[in-house]
Amino acid sequence: MPHIPEDELHAYLDQALSRSQCVEIERHLAHCPACQRRRDGIVALRDRTTALLATLSPARRIPPAYEVLEARARLVRSRRTRWYRAGWAAAVVAATGLGLAGLEWQRATAPTGAEVAALSDSAVSATPAVESPAVPVPEEVALAPRRPEPQRPSARETEREAVPSSDLAVADEVPEDSPAPPAVLEPVGVTLSSGVLSPSMMHFAPTGAWRTLSWDAARQARGQPVPRIRGLPVMEVQVSASQADSGAPTMIVAQQLESGQVIRTIEGPATDVSRLLAAQRTDSGSPWPTISDDAGISGREGSMTLRRGDRILAIQAPLPVDSLRAMIRRMNAMER
Amino acid sequence: MRAGGRLDDFERLYQTTYTAVVRFLYRKVWDADRAEDLAQEVFMRLFQHRPEKPRAWVFAVAANLARDEARAAIRRRKHLTLLTNDPSPGPSRIQAADELVEHDEQLEAVHQALDALTPRDREVLLLWDGGLSYPEIAAQTGLAVGAVGTTLARARKRLVEAHDRQHAQDSHAAHS
Repeated sequence: MPHIPEDELHAYLDQALSRSQCVEIERHLAHCPACQRRRDGIVALRDRTTALLATLSPARRIPPAYEVLEARARLVRSRRTRWYRAGWAAAVVAATGLGLAGLEWQRATAPTGAEVAALSDSAVSATPAVESPAVPVPEEVALAPRRPEPQRPSARETEREAVPSSDLAVADEVPEDSPAPPAVLEPVGVTLSSGVLSPSMMHFAPTGAWRTLSWDAARQARGQPVPRIRGLPVMEVQVSASQADSGAPTMIVAQQLESGQVIRTIEGPATDVSRLLAAQRTDSGSPWPTISDDAGISGREGSMTLRRGDRILAIQAPLPVDSLRAMIRRMNAMER
Repeated sequence: MRAGGRLDDFERLYQTTYTAVVRFLYRKVWDADRAEDLAQEVFMRLFQHRPEKPRAWVFAVAANLARDEARAAIRRRKHLTLLTNDPSPGPSRIQAADELVEHDEQLEAVHQALDALTPRDREVLLLWDGGLSYPEIAAQTGLAVGAVGTTLARARKRLVEAHDRQHAQDSHAAHS
């Protein structure tokens, strides 16, 4: 057998060859000192390259939590959907505008009432019945002169567009006649840094006696995993100074989101955590809907709880309701 | 939404690939913060699009974003030159790298050695270092799978040679 080509030796060492090719190469290497030397040279070259490239690495940082990035992706997607809808509304306006422009032209050349009706009908019938990507609308067409009363997409659409994004609730996606919220609610118009939450959420001040613990002390005090969102830096751990009747005392773990805002995980006896959460909730007139499901999860925008026997696990963060629900489920699963 | 466990795959990919993607981008934009921003953009797009071959897709999008970034930097530079009527090239990648590695000549030497490679050799090398397989690299670069080994062999050799040459020049300059 002729000597092994250099690129094949690279591919062999990169484990990019089939098993049969590897066997063939190894058989040759076993009795060919020249190829063995070349192989060793390539091993050294690979190691050297890897070492050189490794110097070109940015300092390691804690990546954002998966849930945070995923929540951001969902927000972008839902916003994009809204833009598509707005794009369609613009397309309808443009189509109607064109129809009316044509109407003007036809009026100048002996129009009839039937033709007018046909024109405007055809313009309106171009409206898609289902949601689809927007058709690009040239600006000059969209701003056609003598634009008639724009076709309103629908009462629901109009209502959504009219509400400032910071005021949009999750209920926005739930039809009024719906008996219960859907299992997963798509967040609409809520940003991680928007002021959608009550001030009390941002300034969490638990009543009663609390001790601030170091991370190690918290782990020791807990005796089991400290409830938290993996991947986010922990800012503070507080533990209730009053010893619960049974089990571990209430613990509050504050972590920082990438946006700088704080996410708090609270775990403790049901009565203590309920009292704590109730004390924080000063905005009883808030429009946010309360959700609950069979898994014992309940809550609303910014706050979610999971009942676990006589204890409660809770999350408070300026995040959409479905993100909070996903987080609390995941945390619950990881603790078990 | 976790449909049929599909998203768990994406989550696993995120956990195992994020750092490699940041590194890949960093070696193209030479700015750690920008590399992080772009990597997050890549993964946000991943979660939105959920492609069939997510790992290769992630690096393809990262390469595209880095290319857009480089084009934008060139546009900014041209604009700046027009504004100031300054014939100097303005803030450049090399300058940015200088700032980055001013305390580390070794880093500068590697950086320049990487710059000395042809774009294709560099791309293949960085994709390999990012963890892509030969077929994934081939799909992304348009090379035949069989040509990936040849390209990698050449890229590795040239990187090391360019680095050693650079190092020798620096040593000579330091002693003269």
